[in-house]
Amino acid sequence: MSWLRRYGALIRNAWLVDIQYRAAIVLWLLWGVTEPAIALGIWWAIAGAGSVGGYARADFARYFFAVMLINQLTIAWDSWYLDRWIREGELNYRLARPLHPAHEAVAENIAYKARTASVILIVWILCAAAWPAVRLSIDPGRLALTALAVLLAAAMRFFISFTTGLLAFWTTRATAIMELHAGVSLFLAGRIAPLALLPSAVAGIAGVLWFRGMLSFPVDLLTGAVQGGDAVLRGLASQVVWLGIWILAYRIAWTRGIRKYGAVGG
Amino acid sequence: MTGRLLGAFWRINLAEELQYRANFIASVLGTLFSMATALLTLALFFRHTSALGGWDYWEIVVLLGVFNALTGVVEAVLRPGIGRLAGEVRGGGLDLVLVKPVDAQGFVSFRHLDIWRFADIVLGLGLAGYALVRLHHAPSFAQLGAFVVTLAAAAVVVYAIWVVLMSLAFWFVSVENIAVLFDAVYEGARYPVSAYPGALRFLFVYLIPIAWTTTIPASALTGRLRPEIALAAALVAGVAFTLARALWRAALKRYTGASG
Repeated sequence: MSWLRRYGALIRNAWLVDIQYRAAIVLWLLWGVTEPAIALGIWWAIAGAGSVGGYARADFARYFFAVMLINQLTIAWDSWYLDRWIREGELNYRLARPLHPAHEAVAENIAYKARTASVILIVWILCAAAWPAVRLSIDPGRLALTALAVLLAAAMRFFISFTTGLLAFWTTRATAIMELHAGVSLFLAGRIAPLALLPSAVAGIAGVLWFRGMLSFPVDLLTGAVQGGDAVLRGLASQVVWLGIWILAYRIAWTRGIRKYGAVGG
Repeated sequence: MTGRLLGAFWRINLAEELQYRANFIASVLGTLFSMATALLTLALFFRHTSALGGWDYWEIVVLLGVFNALTGVVEAVLRPGIGRLAGEVRGGGLDLVLVKPVDAQGFVSFRHLDIWRFADIVLGLGLAGYALVRLHHAPSFAQLGAFVVTLAAAAVVVYAIWVVLMSLAFWFVSVENIAVLFDAVYEGARYPVSAYPGALRFLFVYLIPIAWTTTIPASALTGRLRPEIALAAALVAGVAFTLARALWRAALKRYTGASG
């Protein structure tokens, strides 16, 4: 109960702060959807009247609409915040609170994503009304599984971002490492193309590492590209394993980093 | 006067940056990484097609080189200069600029340079040059001249877009991250205009004519364009600059100062 109340207050606070920056958030939202929109445009032109690796125009449209939505739901900016908190000493008063700073970050993520993802969802529904290519068949079981996969992906990306941000305890280039990760995930997480269109060795690496679980797997689950209970189970299991590994990495980085941290500023 | 003052600022600027030489390595590595991801993306597209909008692989690499060179102009000059304006309108830092006896637009635009990012221009032009070799295309003098003029025109157009965006900050004070709007739309300039299907082409070509800033200079270099078009590009750049300056003046009239 007390956790419910705490989170209620944190999310409410984050929501109200976001309201002040409505226009700024719209701009970030716009920035987030241009990359998939451009990728869709190029694949649309390449597919022409036929299909590429089993993907026809309508498949690409559904895929990249799903990427827009699920990327927004799972994206985590926390490494940038942590980098600033650590470098400029804003971590100090957060450490003095009786609540771990990560909870504030989680609440911010929930408030931000609820706002931005619902905008994308509404735009998607409006598009679907006019444009049959982006309509999905609604299957409650599949939607429930997708929701679970999105939750796991969001948790994993949160811990990746948070842990990488903690590297600011040791280096001034923590955000550069996050940029590198973003560059790799352009391909391995399926942001620029469905993994099925990558060379099979590359797609294999994406599946063994955490990248597929970050975005591509929940997207494929939503569009129906992942078929069969076996494939779904394997995807979810991989997400759970990598989430566990990243939580472990976070705990190591946090305990070591805090020990090393000498407060700066105030 | 503006020139002498800017000269002094640039000297201090250079002295400052030279203290942090490791940043140069980091900056070059970052640029090489983003060039590599752009080339890999292109390679991925060309696994499944032999041409994009009528352009073949190395022609688009020429265009990517132009894109990188323009990115260098944005990162070295525009973002650290005029890009800080939105925040200064909000915080009142613009007051300190306006009391100086110089042309405010010129000073705001060019006061601070991120000198390491000039390397991006060199790397971008290098990439375009390499792609030309792979195309076995030696540009004629007319084509090279047209390239220089259209690239300069593109830089002016991009500058004008930044002036317009930052001028909007005088009306919409809370949008401190308005530069994000540029970043979002500029992504569209990575590919030739003709590669986009209907709706997107309308957006990038007519609504926000950003895609031309890379397509036209790259076309001039590969000989897709008659050199005379360069004159039209210069004219467009002149018009864009004039409009942006007019908007800047109108915006400045609204400024009442916020510092204290």
